[in-house]
Amino acid sequence: MDLALGPEQHAFREEVRAFLAASLSPALRRGAALTSGVFAEPDIAREWQAILEAKGWLVYHWPDHAGGPGWTPVQRWIFEKECAEAGAPVLPGMGLKLVGPVLYTYGTPAQKDHYLPRLRSAEHVWAQGFSEPGSGSDLASLRTRAVRDGDHYVVSGHKIWTTQAQYANWLFALVRTDPHVKPQQGISFLLIDMALPGVMVKPILSASGDHELNEVFLDEVRVPVSDRVGDEGQGWSIAKFLLENERGGSSFAPAILADLARLRTSTGPLTGELADRALRLQLEAEALEMTELRTLIEIEHGAAPDPRSLTTKLLASEIRQGVEALAVDAFGLAGLQLPVERPFYGDDMPAPVGSAQAQVAAARYLNARAWSIFGGTSEIQLTLIAKAALGL
Amino acid sequence: MNLALSDEQAMVRDMVRRFLADRYDAATMAKGPMSPDDWRALGELGLFALLAPEQAGGLGGGAVEVMIVSEEMGRALAITPLTEAVLLCGRAIAGDPVARRWGDRLMQGEALLAFAPGGAMTDGRLCGSGGIVRDGMDADAFVVETEAGALLLIDGQDSGVRRMPVRLVDGSMAAHVRFDAVHAVPLTIPGSAWAEAQALAGLSIVAELVGAMATLLDLTVDYVRQRHQFGKPIASFQVVQHRCARMYTWLEQSRSLLLKSALAEEEERVRAVTAARAYIGDAALKLAEEAVQLHGGMGVTDELAVGRGLRRVLLLSRLHGGGTAARAALAA
Ligand SMILES: Cc1cc2nc3c(=O)[nH]c(=O)nc-3n(C[C@H](O)[C@H](O)[C@H](O)COP(=O)(O)OP(=O)(O)OC[C@H]3O[C@@H](n4cnc5c(N)ncnc54)[C@H](O)[C@@H]3O)c2cc1C
Repeated sequence: MDLALGPEQHAFREEVRAFLAASLSPALRRGAALTSGVFAEPDIAREWQAILEAKGWLVYHWPDHAGGPGWTPVQRWIFEKECAEAGAPVLPGMGLKLVGPVLYTYGTPAQKDHYLPRLRSAEHVWAQGFSEPGSGSDLASLRTRAVRDGDHYVVSGHKIWTTQAQYANWLFALVRTDPHVKPQQGISFLLIDMALPGVMVKPILSASGDHELNEVFLDEVRVPVSDRVGDEGQGWSIAKFLLENERGGSSFAPAILADLARLRTSTGPLTGELADRALRLQLEAEALEMTELRTLIEIEHGAAPDPRSLTTKLLASEIRQGVEALAVDAFGLAGLQLPVERPFYGDDMPAPVGSAQAQVAAARYLNARAWSIFGGTSEIQLTLIAKAALGL
Repeated sequence: MNLALSDEQAMVRDMVRRFLADRYDAATMAKGPMSPDDWRALGELGLFALLAPEQAGGLGGGAVEVMIVSEEMGRALAITPLTEAVLLCGRAIAGDPVARRWGDRLMQGEALLAFAPGGAMTDGRLCGSGGIVRDGMDADAFVVETEAGALLLIDGQDSGVRRMPVRLVDGSMAAHVRFDAVHAVPLTIPGSAWAEAQALAGLSIVAELVGAMATLLDLTVDYVRQRHQFGKPIASFQVVQHRCARMYTWLEQSRSLLLKSALAEEEERVRAVTAARAYIGDAALKLAEEAVQLHGGMGVTDELAVGRGLRRVLLLSRLHGGGTAARAALAA
C-alpha cells in the first residue's frame, strides 16, 4: 500500500499545473472566487470551456471512445484537485457531467455525432428538466406527458428548479410516455430544443437574490421521436445512471479544501471558536478527500464502486455548508452585506465593505443551503446509504 | 413566582400583534424593512413611548415589555430599527436635556436615530470610522460610542458625516459611516443606565429571534402536513417528525433563556442576556436552516417566508459577534 504518486502521475500533475498557471487569467480566477452560486456564470464559463476544449481537457472525465483524453480515475482526481487549488471556474455540469455521459452511453450513433460536438463547443447549453412541482424526492411520480403523434411526441407539463435554464437552449427531460404501467416503467428521456413553440421559462429568485433557478412550462411542444434517448420506458434507468454521476461523478473534497485555504487567507488568523470550527471542517474535508480517493484507487485497480461512494455528496453538503457559515462569521458585520447587483465580480457592484470576499459571503451561505437539497436531499441520501451500504 | 402577563402587558402584546397581523402574512413577511408610514403609526400608537424611560417622558417600560414587543416583531419577521433606535439610542439620550428634542420625535416615530460604535474625538471634533451602521442611511441623528467609550450625539445633517449605502442580508439599508471632523454633543448618562440600555437591546434581539423561531416552526409544521411525496404527507415520515420535534426543543429552550433574562434582577441582567444570546444565536440559525431544509427547493427561494426568514435570522443571530462573542464574554 502507498499513497505516493508514481513518476508518471507526478509528471502529469506538473503538466496540469503549468497549463493552469498559463491559462487561468486573473479575471477568470477573480470571477471564480467571487461566484455566489453553484456554477460559474456564462461569461466566465464560456471562456474557460473554450480554453479547456482547445487543450483537449474539457471532457476529461469521458472515456476515450467518447472523445475524452482516456485518463485514469486518479488522473482525473489530480486534474480536479489542481483546478480547485488554482481557483478555476466550476463549469455547469448539466451538459458535461449529466447529459454528455447519457448520450455516449445510451445514444444512437446519430445522436452522439450530432449532440456531443455541439455540447463541447457550447453551441448547445443544457438544462436538466427532471423535477416538477409535485415530484421532487418522489421523482418517479412525475406527470409531464409525452403523447406520440406520428414522428413526434407532444409534450405538456411543468418542470421546476431548472438550474440556468435562462441560459440554456436545450433541455433534457424525463417525461411520461405511458401512464398505464408502474410509474418507473412509463418514463422516457427526451432532448428538447428550447426554441420550439410552447417552451416558456420563468425565473425563480433565490433567497440570496441570485437568479439560478427557473420554472419551465411545456405546452404541446412537438419533439421529434429521434430526440428520445434510449427506448421508450427506459427513462428511469437512464435517470438513475445520470443521478449517480450527479452525486458521485467527481470529487468534492478538493474544492472544499481549497476554499477553506482561501478563506483563511482572506480573513487573516482566526481565534477561539472560529479557529476551532475551521479546524474541524479542515479535518472533515481531509477525511472526505481520503474517502473519495479510496474509491477512485479501488476503481482504478478494477474494483466495482463501493457503497461508501454514496456518502460523499451528503458529507460534502454538510462540510460545504459549514465552510460558508464560518465565512459569514469570520467576516463579522461585513459578512452580512448582500447587495442586489450581480455578478459579485461585475463593474456595477457597490464598493465592498471589508473585502470582495466578505461581500459575497452571505450570498454563498444562503446558496449553500441548497447543497443538502439538490441532486436528492440529505434525508433521501441517508435512506439510500442505509439500504445500499447496510442492507437496512 | 408567576409567568403570566399582567392585563396591561397582555394589552400591549395584543395591540402589537394585531397591528402586525394587519400588515404581514406569510406572503409579505421579511420582504423588506417596515415602511416609514407603519413605523410612524407605531409611534403614534405610543409603542415607543411605552418603552422609553420616564425621565424622557416615556412610560418606563422594562425588560418584560421589551420582550413582549420584540417577540411580536420577530413573530411577524418585521424588519425595524426598534432595537438600536428606540432601546439603545433612545435610552442613551434620555437623561440629556440638550438631546431631549430628538427623544420626543423619536418616540413619535418621526425621527430615526442610529447607533455607531467607533470614531475618536480629536481637537473637539469626531473623526474616524463608524463602521457599518444599521439603518444608517435614513438616520436623522447618530448616537456614537467612541473607541474611548464616550457617548456622543451627532446630527446626521452635519457635512462631516459621510455615508455609503450597504444593503444587509435582511434587505435593510445600513451605511458605512465615516466621521470627518463632526460636531458632537457629549451625552450624560450614568454607566449603569448605559449598561441597562445595552442589556435591553440584547434582550430585544433574542426576543425577536424567539418570535422568528416560533413562526418558522409553525410554517414548517404547516408545510410538512400539506406537502405530499410518495403518496403521503411528508409529515408522515418519522425523520421529518423527529426533525420538527427537535426544532421545538430548541424553541422551548430558547424561550426559557429569554424569559430568564427578561425576569432577571437588574444586576443579573447582563449575564442572563449574554447567556441567552450565546444559546439562542446558534439555536435560531439551526432552526431556520432546518425549516429551509424541510421545505426542499421551496425553502431556498425568495418566494416563501422561510427563505427570507433565514436571512433575517442570520442577521439578528450574528449581531455583535453572535453566539461566539457571547460565549467568549461568558468565559472571560
Ligand atoms: C439550487 C437547486 C438546484 C436544482 N437544480 C435542478 C435542476 O437543474 N433540474 C432538476 O430537475 N431539479 C433541480 N433541483 C431540484 C431538486 O432535485 C429537488 O429540489 C429535490 O429533489 C427535492 O425535491 P423537493 O424540492 O420537491 O422537496 P421535497 O421532496 O418536497 O422534500 C421536502 C422535505 O421532505 C423531505 N422528504 C421527502 N421525502 C422524504 C422521505 N421519504 N423521508 C424523509 N424525508 C423526506 C426532504 O428531504 C425535504 O427535507 C434543484 C434544487 C435546488 C434547490
